[in-house]
Amino acid sequence: MATSIELAHASASATLAPKPSVTEVVARFVRTKPLGAAGGVIILGMLFLAVFAQMLAPYDPYVGDYGLQFSRPSAEHWFGTDEFGRDVMSRIMYGARIALFVGFTASLIGCTIGALLGVISAYWGGRVDLLLERLMDILLAFPQLILALAIASILGPAVQNVVIAISIPVIPRVARVVRSAALSVKENVYVEAVQALGATRRRVILQHIIPNVAAPYIIMLTAQLGAAILAEAALSYLGLGAAEPTPSWGLMLSGSAPSYAEKAPWIALFPGIAISLGVFGFNLFGDSLRDALDPKLKG
Amino acid sequence: MRRHQALVSGFALVFLIVSLLAPARAAAQETPRRGGVLLAAIAADAPSLDPHQEQTFATMQLVAPLYSTLIQIDPYSYPKIIGDAATEWKIAPDGLTYTFKIRPGIRFHDGSPLTAADVKATYDKIIFPPAGVRSIRKNTYSAMSSVEAPDPSTVVFKLKFPSASLLGNLASPWNVIYPKKYLDRDPNYFKNNVVGSGPFKFKSYTRGATFEGERNPDYFVKDRPYLDGYKFFISTETAVRAAAIRSGRAWVEFRTFPLSEVEAIKKQLGDKVVVQETPATGLFGIAMNQTQKPFTDIRVRKALTLGIDRSTAGRVLYPIASLRDVGGLMRPTTEWAIAESELQLLPGFWRDAEKSRAEARRLLAEAGYPNGFKVVLKNRNVRTPYIDFGVYVIQEWRKIGIEAEHRPLETAAWFADGRDTGNFEVIVNGTFNYMDDPDLFLERYTSGDTSNWGRFSDPRIDDLFARQARALDPGERRKLVIELQKIVLENAYHIPGLWWARSMVHWAKVKNYVAPPNHYSNQKLQDVWLAED
Repeated sequence: MATSIELAHASASATLAPKPSVTEVVARFVRTKPLGAAGGVIILGMLFLAVFAQMLAPYDPYVGDYGLQFSRPSAEHWFGTDEFGRDVMSRIMYGARIALFVGFTASLIGCTIGALLGVISAYWGGRVDLLLERLMDILLAFPQLILALAIASILGPAVQNVVIAISIPVIPRVARVVRSAALSVKENVYVEAVQALGATRRRVILQHIIPNVAAPYIIMLTAQLGAAILAEAALSYLGLGAAEPTPSWGLMLSGSAPSYAEKAPWIALFPGIAISLGVFGFNLFGDSLRDALDPKLKG
Repeated sequence: MRRHQALVSGFALVFLIVSLLAPARAAAQETPRRGGVLLAAIAADAPSLDPHQEQTFATMQLVAPLYSTLIQIDPYSYPKIIGDAATEWKIAPDGLTYTFKIRPGIRFHDGSPLTAADVKATYDKIIFPPAGVRSIRKNTYSAMSSVEAPDPSTVVFKLKFPSASLLGNLASPWNVIYPKKYLDRDPNYFKNNVVGSGPFKFKSYTRGATFEGERNPDYFVKDRPYLDGYKFFISTETAVRAAAIRSGRAWVEFRTFPLSEVEAIKKQLGDKVVVQETPATGLFGIAMNQTQKPFTDIRVRKALTLGIDRSTAGRVLYPIASLRDVGGLMRPTTEWAIAESELQLLPGFWRDAEKSRAEARRLLAEAGYPNGFKVVLKNRNVRTPYIDFGVYVIQEWRKIGIEAEHRPLETAAWFADGRDTGNFEVIVNGTFNYMDDPDLFLERYTSGDTSNWGRFSDPRIDDLFARQARALDPGERRKLVIELQKIVLENAYHIPGLWWARSMVHWAKVKNYVAPPNHYSNQKLQDVWLAED
């Protein structure tokens, strides 16, 4: 008797367990996904640098000390100075702003438009689906960076154009993933039920389909963030991104940096490390987030 | 009539140049070797292939070996003038008639002979261009009243008034001779096609990538050219061109490399490369669009020029961008330059940079911009020296509160916005000529000139320009030239930056090329040869 009461109590407590707090979720994430957590720390570090660059950067990233062209890393200039005597560390700190701005906005725009198109394609089906999917096929035929390059060269070098150029190739990739998720959600009985109850298309899409495709959307978003940062660096490196003297990591790596690779390797070295670290951080975090959110991968 | 002719001949200065002598002299030291394709790197692509309509080295260097000119600057002795298609010429004592004798036996690459009619058609296109045809250098020949071809081997230029620079202007490497029959059909034909009579024939052109010429076996100078051909690789990135030189993918870059690249190349290749260093007839600066506010306000213009510390610029930019010398609108050290002591009294040239900045801020406040303003600085997307100069200027302007957004453009778009449509606020532009000639350098400050990107107009400048162009007395001309420069600088109509210093790098096996102080003349490559590795 006593045993059965205890069992009943245990099952009741299991069903009524309070929702874990944010701290608990984070703690569990750190415990189970230490690499992802490390990625998260890098992202937080970047965010911190980007937000507080003005206070943290020891020097003006735009104005150089002309007496200190090409000076080696030292106590005054930890990462050395570039060809105009500008402090490389300060420029990297400000560069985090551009990287994050382009990364976030480009992947947010690309993923959101892609997700919407995916849901529309899945829900409407028929000709709309056919048309949208063929359009996505055309976009998918181009490698991501090549398409971004083509768009950037048409639009011209500027930060906002880089955002557009990077976000467009993201659209078909997200649309495909979200469409397949939405197709399976659409077939669920509860969707048919709300349709039978007379729910409008808008209500079905916004309240029943979209919340259920949020997981693939978030996973794609984090996965694209790292790629977007890398794409921004690549476009700037090729002269299609931000223009000098904007402190963009890719731009710092290009321009004159290769010319001074022997004389002053730090000009290219530190922005290179920053790009690698940023992309690494987002990829680690994105991978772990996918593991955590994807029910199929849950042990 | 006969008496008159005799008189003219008696007084006329007769220049008899046997151009064959020049290569013979240079070749005397080493025996030239025939064959080989010269591999060269170039920093920009040509907006079009018609040098009459263009002003970039990109057009010039790619097509110069394909054409002849009437006369030319001696490849071995700048700024001496020698013949090319013309063998001799006479100038009437009143300076109003120039008569040229055309060398017999010159053939265009399509087999047709080059005659005086072709020279006339060419110069008519340059001096009196038909509607719809741009001629960059039209105003240089404002003295000209007519070009005549009385017989197939004689060309006569008639002038309305004497022109001190005319002979130099006729030696312009830009004035390549086109066959008349193509010009008759379409005056813009040569924007995309090549039919010349130069030492090389057109072979192939891939936009933005390569340009090739091959030996012209029927070239009118006997035994020339030595090379089988030439090939240019186009890349706007200095590092890419330097890497091409270092790896032997290109053996010459005719324009310039910044000092840091030169050092690295020398370090790697040692005696395998030769560096020819010359000052250069090029001034880089900034045009302000004076059809729009706030650049109509002299206080704003003065502030912008006062905001640039030029002497520091020379120190900072020389190692990275080849810009070195501080000067007015004519090259320092030449007879036309403003004396150092006078220059230092003009805005932007004061010795004390802090005092200049303080004055700039005061002027901006007075003009209604106490906190400065934002501006878009357009530029050409060529790193050396455009981008580096632009970055320096942006840094300097930040110190007086001007926040400039940098917008580098492709060469064609940069010309379109700066020169053709005026679609800019401020734009980096340079003036680079093949000679230290006041007509060539100062015409761009006159009203309505195609090269007056700032689109300003001052009748005093127009008057001084016209007078100096006619002044045959060098002393008198110098006075007028100095006065003109002072008006431009005092009113800050234009912001001069720095004068170029040229470091031309080539492999030692590229022989018989002497770098002049510009990268336009001596580009025919007829005497260049390649030694064995």
